[in-house]
Amino acid sequence: MIEVRKLCKSYGERQAISNLSFKIEKGDVVGLLGPNGAGKSTTMKIITGFMAPTSGEAKVCGYDVFEDPIEVKKRIGYLPETPPLYSEMSVEDYLKFVAELKSVDSARLKSLVDKAIVKTQLVEVRKRLIRNLSKGFKQRVGIAQALVSDPEVLVLDEPTVGLDPKQVAEIRDLIKELRGEHTIILSTHILPEVQATCNKVIIIHEGKIVAQDAIDQIEKLNQGAIILNVRTRKPHQLTSQLEKIDGVKQVESVSRTQLRLTLNEQDELIEVIAKEIIAAGVGLIELAPSRANLEDVFLKLTYGQNS
Amino acid sequence: MRGIYVIFKKELAGYFLSPLFYFISFLMTGLLSIMFAISLDRFNYTATNAMLQLGTPPQQQNIHYAVFLPHLSLVNLMMIFLVPALCMRLLAEEKKMRTFDLLLTSPVSSLTIVLGKYLATLVTIIGLLVVTMIYPVITSRMVEFNWAPTIIAFLGIFLVSAVYSAMNLFASSLTDNGLIAFVLSIVFNLAIWFIGALNESFDNPTTKKILEHLSINTHLAGMIEGTVRTSGLVFVFSLIFLFCFLSERVIESSRWRA
Repeated sequence: MIEVRKLCKSYGERQAISNLSFKIEKGDVVGLLGPNGAGKSTTMKIITGFMAPTSGEAKVCGYDVFEDPIEVKKRIGYLPETPPLYSEMSVEDYLKFVAELKSVDSARLKSLVDKAIVKTQLVEVRKRLIRNLSKGFKQRVGIAQALVSDPEVLVLDEPTVGLDPKQVAEIRDLIKELRGEHTIILSTHILPEVQATCNKVIIIHEGKIVAQDAIDQIEKLNQGAIILNVRTRKPHQLTSQLEKIDGVKQVESVSRTQLRLTLNEQDELIEVIAKEIIAAGVGLIELAPSRANLEDVFLKLTYGQNS
Repeated sequence: MRGIYVIFKKELAGYFLSPLFYFISFLMTGLLSIMFAISLDRFNYTATNAMLQLGTPPQQQNIHYAVFLPHLSLVNLMMIFLVPALCMRLLAEEKKMRTFDLLLTSPVSSLTIVLGKYLATLVTIIGLLVVTMIYPVITSRMVEFNWAPTIIAFLGIFLVSAVYSAMNLFASSLTDNGLIAFVLSIVFNLAIWFIGALNESFDNPTTKKILEHLSINTHLAGMIEGTVRTSGLVFVFSLIFLFCFLSERVIESSRWRA
């Protein structure tokens, strides 16, 4: 569906992205992940045909972005970082304009506009001028304009920025709902967003891809370690005792009643440790394992550290 | 074609649904009403007083020269400043509000964008000219005169305004700052009047001829008197084409520069 090969873009001296290659299949929801300034937006701008790369090629639905820009643009819905809104238009007129601009046939126009309005929950503001809407509503109008032409590919640059937590959840649900109908690329630096909505991740750092795979595969990159947080009611002297258990890599005493253990990924081990602590009679009140997750992988890959 | 119509429709709605057009019309009619009444009154005075007609050239005794031409030259003077006000937002604001991203990622070519916007501006200018036509129309209810030269003179003003719009659209494409676009537009609009004056500074007859030809004054003079010359039309249309083409290039180049 989307194929990017050896894509490079430099702004003068600064190399924004270098040698990016990836492939996205039909129906995938892909998260483009990376710290600020990693080159996420640049990549998206190139895919949408907004900007030409310095070298390399990008294909959408089999059409080259630079050879057949019009064909590509017909098939893409794009939400840039700043939603492109005409503040003097009403929500409905604006969406109609975008749909016409994207050469939707007039027979389907009304139903598609209505569908986009319903999907992004803009029904109660459809007649209002965009300039009078709050930031969250504006962002939703931005998403609606990307959806309105019913494109095969949706490119969303930070779709949940500026929304309140409830709206963020709604937008995530919307993206999940669109999964299957459309191929979606979304960029973000918010990790839970990727975990909640995507089935594939591409992690970009300083213009290069540092990891790309399905989410569960990526999480496995950092496997083999569980961090166990232990809290007891009474002070304890368990450190040396726990260190002796086979499979425990490290025991760290956080305070007199708190411990942090790093262990091999074995569920039975937690059981053994729990037994040991209870046997010591210090009053176990908390035993919380946390698995290495996407966030750790992300930090490790981009900042070279493991939190 | 459909793309042109979609952008044309949107821009036209932008012109006529915003207060700007009505505000500009209001300013124009305010000034024109005063000036037109004065020149009509003066013409009436000379026409009815045989003594005053003695020394004046016969041209001045024609309503076309005495009343309508001053009216139109005032309209032209206002267009030099008002067309920039209409055009400055066309592309500069799109860039500033980032709606340019939407246009550039839509399946429309740069040419479509330019033509849609340019045609909408032309229709708006026709709207403004219709407002200024009110004065001769009202006059025709009181006196009888030959309409043809007046209509051709109006056509001349329309063509000059069309040149202004093309230049000002180009000015708007160069920047994302409306004010800079406005000032630049005025400089452009004045320049096509003053470029002819440069021929005083050259002795070479060829240079003189070229500069004279470049001045819009030379070409409009005929139309003002009621004659249409093809050389003038060719000049006007090539200026329009040139500046629309340049705007199209600037839009296209934004995909490559960044």
